Amino acid sequence: MTERRPLLAAGAALLLARARPAAAQPVDTARAASFIQATGRELVAAINGGGGVTQRRDQVAAILRRAVDVEGVGRFILGRYWRVATPEEQAQYMRLFEETLIRNLSARFGEYQGVRFSLGRSQQRTEDDALVNTIVERPNLAPFSLDWRVGEVGGQPRVVDVIAEGTSLRLTTRSEYSAVISRNGGRVAALLDAMRNQVAQLAAREGR
Amino acid sequence: MRHAPLRRLLPAALALGLAGGLLAGCATLPPPDDKDALEEFRANNDPAEPFNRAMYDVHQAIDTAVLRPVAVAYRAVVPPPVRTGVSNVLSNLRSPVILMNDALQGETERFGITLGRFMINSTLGVGGIFDVASRFGLVPHTEDFGQTFAVAGVEEGPYLFIPILGPSNPRDLVGFAAGIAADPFNWLTFGNRDLLDALSYARAGVTVVSTRESLLDTLDDVQRTSLDPYATLRSAYRQQRAREIANTGSGAVPAAPQGLGTGLGNTTEGGQP
Repeated sequence: MTERRPLLAAGAALLLARARPAAAQPVDTARAASFIQATGRELVAAINGGGGVTQRRDQVAAILRRAVDVEGVGRFILGRYWRVATPEEQAQYMRLFEETLIRNLSARFGEYQGVRFSLGRSQQRTEDDALVNTIVERPNLAPFSLDWRVGEVGGQPRVVDVIAEGTSLRLTTRSEYSAVISRNGGRVAALLDAMRNQVAQLAAREGR
Repeated sequence: MRHAPLRRLLPAALALGLAGGLLAGCATLPPPDDKDALEEFRANNDPAEPFNRAMYDVHQAIDTAVLRPVAVAYRAVVPPPVRTGVSNVLSNLRSPVILMNDALQGETERFGITLGRFMINSTLGVGGIFDVASRFGLVPHTEDFGQTFAVAGVEEGPYLFIPILGPSNPRDLVGFAAGIAADPFNWLTFGNRDLLDALSYARAGVTVVSTRESLLDTLDDVQRTSLDPYATLRSAYRQQRAREIANTGSGAVPAAPQGLGTGLGNTTEGGQP
C-alpha cells in the first residue's frame, strides 16, 4: 500500500518524460509564473480599486479577455461536438462562450474585495502546459488554492484553465455542456439556446 | 435505540442505491460505432444516470424545502466565531477516523500531524472549539476509508448520487459506512447508551447543518451558473476525490473539511481559530 504511490508517480514521470519531445510548444515554468503574477497583480488592483461594482467588473473582464485563451478553452470544452457543429453554430458558440465565461469570472472575482494573492509553493510543468499554484486570501475567510494552467498560444503565455481547490473549470464545464447536448438528442443548437438564456439572465441580474 | 442514527440509515441507503441502480435500469449505451460517445460514456462513469438523476431530484426537493433554509437560518442567527467553533469541534471529533486512515495508508507524517492536532485541540483548544494546532503549523487534512480503499487499489465503481449524502460511489459509500462503524465516538458509551444515541443524533444533525452552511455560496453558485448542475457536481466530485486520494492538495485549506461527500471544496468559510 505504501509503495503504490511512488511507483505510480515514477510511472507517470516516465510517461511524461517520453512524451516531452513530442510536445509542440513547451512553456517555461518561470515565464508562466511571472505571467500569472503580473495578471494576478492587475486583477487585484482592479478588484480592490475605486469605482463602482460595474466599473470594477468591466476592468476585470478586460484583463481576463487579454489573459485567457478564450478560443482554445472554448474548443476544448465543446470537445467532440465542435466537429459536429456547423460553422455557424461554431461561431455562435464562441460568441456565447466568451460572454458567459467573462461574465461568470468577472462577477466572481468582482466579489473578492480586499483580496490578496500570492504565488504558492508548487510550480510544476505538465506535458505542454505549466501549472502555476496561487493562494487567494480574502478578509475573514479561509485562504484557498487556485491553480492556473498556462499554455503558449501564438508565442504568448495564456491561461488555458483555472483550477479552484482541485476542480478544473474546463473539465467541469465540458461535462456540463456535453450533458446538455446529449440530453437533447445530440443537438448543439440546444446548448446554444441554453447558453443564450443564461447570458440573458446574467445580464438582467447585473443590470447591464 | 441500539445504534447510532447514521449507522442505521446506511444499510438502507446502500440497499436503496444498489437495488435502485438495478431496477431503474441503466443509461442506454451509445451505439458501438460511435467511438466518441462511448468514450464519453466511459469517462462519465455513470451507467445508472437515470436513477441517479431521479435521486438528485429527490435531494434537490429535500434541499429546497429543508436543508438550505435551515443552513441559511443557521448562518443568519449564529455569529461566525460560533459557527467556526462548531465546525472545529466536528473536525476534531473526526480525528480518530482520520488517524486510522493515515495509519492504514502508511502516511507517517500525516499520522503525526493528525495525532498532534487532536491532542492539542482537545486540550488547549478546549474540546476542539479552537483550532490552536493550525497556529502551531499543524495544517488539517481529511482522510477516510474510501480514500484508503482507493490507495489499496479498489476501483470506485459506478457513480452514485445519494439524497442528503450527495455524490458518491460504491467504494466511497462503503468507506463512509466503515468510517461511522470505526468511529470511537460512536461506540464509546461510557455506560450510558441513551446518552450516546442522543449525542450521535445531535452530532449527525449538526454535521449536516454545518456542512450545508459551508457550502451555501458554492452550491448557490453552481445552481446559478451551471446549465446542468447534476453534471457539474458529478464532474467536480470525481475531480475532488482524485485529488484527495493523491493527497496533492495545496494545504491552503482541507479539500472538504466537513467530511460529507459533496465533492466541493469549502472555499467560503474555513476552520480558522
